[in-house]
Amino acid sequence: MVKVYSFEGCPWCVKVKKYLQSRGIEYEVRDIELSEEAREECERISGDLTVPVTTIDGKNFVLGFDKPKIDALIANA
Amino acid sequence: MSVYDFTVKTKTGDDKSLADYKGKVLLIVNTASKCGFTPQFEELQKLYKTYKDKGLEILGFPCNQFAQQDPGTNDEVQQFCKLNYGVTFTVFGKGDVRGETAQPLFKYLTAQKKFEGFDMNHPIAAPLLNALKENFPEYLEGDGIKWNFTKFLVDRNGEVVARFEPTTNPADIAADIEKLL
Repeated sequence: MVKVYSFEGCPWCVKVKKYLQSRGIEYEVRDIELSEEAREECERISGDLTVPVTTIDGKNFVLGFDKPKIDALIANA
Repeated sequence: MSVYDFTVKTKTGDDKSLADYKGKVLLIVNTASKCGFTPQFEELQKLYKTYKDKGLEILGFPCNQFAQQDPGTNDEVQQFCKLNYGVTFTVFGKGDVRGETAQPLFKYLTAQKKFEGFDMNHPIAAPLLNALKENFPEYLEGDGIKWNFTKFLVDRNGEVVARFEPTTNPADIAADIEKLL
């Protein structure tokens, strides 16, 4: 399952979600503002609290709205 | 009347009286709620770390009345947002800072210290001015807050002594803060 770490009011997060939707890919939203657990996960994965962070395995991740990298992440899953 | 007469909302929605900050030097800033202008966030944090033990408090007021991005830097802007948990100064609840719906504190601050123009030598000044002319021309009228990271410096007696526009970097306020500490 694709996970998108994000928070409300982050336009790049919205773009990632819309892009995944447009490709018909299901994803889980992890809100790092509302959930402390999600915040800790995000920091563990990316080393920072910047979002959007898109990941499948919690190891490889894409920071930001970067379509080619998101495509590659999904293709390699 | 002084800033101590105002009560604001904390992140969790509780009331906080600014009278609790009597005797402190205050830097009151409307911050971008999430994205954009983050270098100023980092510089504010540096100021806070440097001067908090001498009596500086920084009070951040997130507001999303302004566009989410830095104006004019669309091409090179990093396409992600940093949660403002990285800062340790006080960040209050989200609220409006300009217009009819502005929090009373900001109506007071902008009445005390008028808009005197941007520092056009700052790299953000020209794109900011253009973005405002294009998208929010009414923001350029009057003394209301023009954009994220307008900073008001308040002395230990609660008097508003200076206003700095988004075109003044926090680091450049250090000397003014030191004078009051």
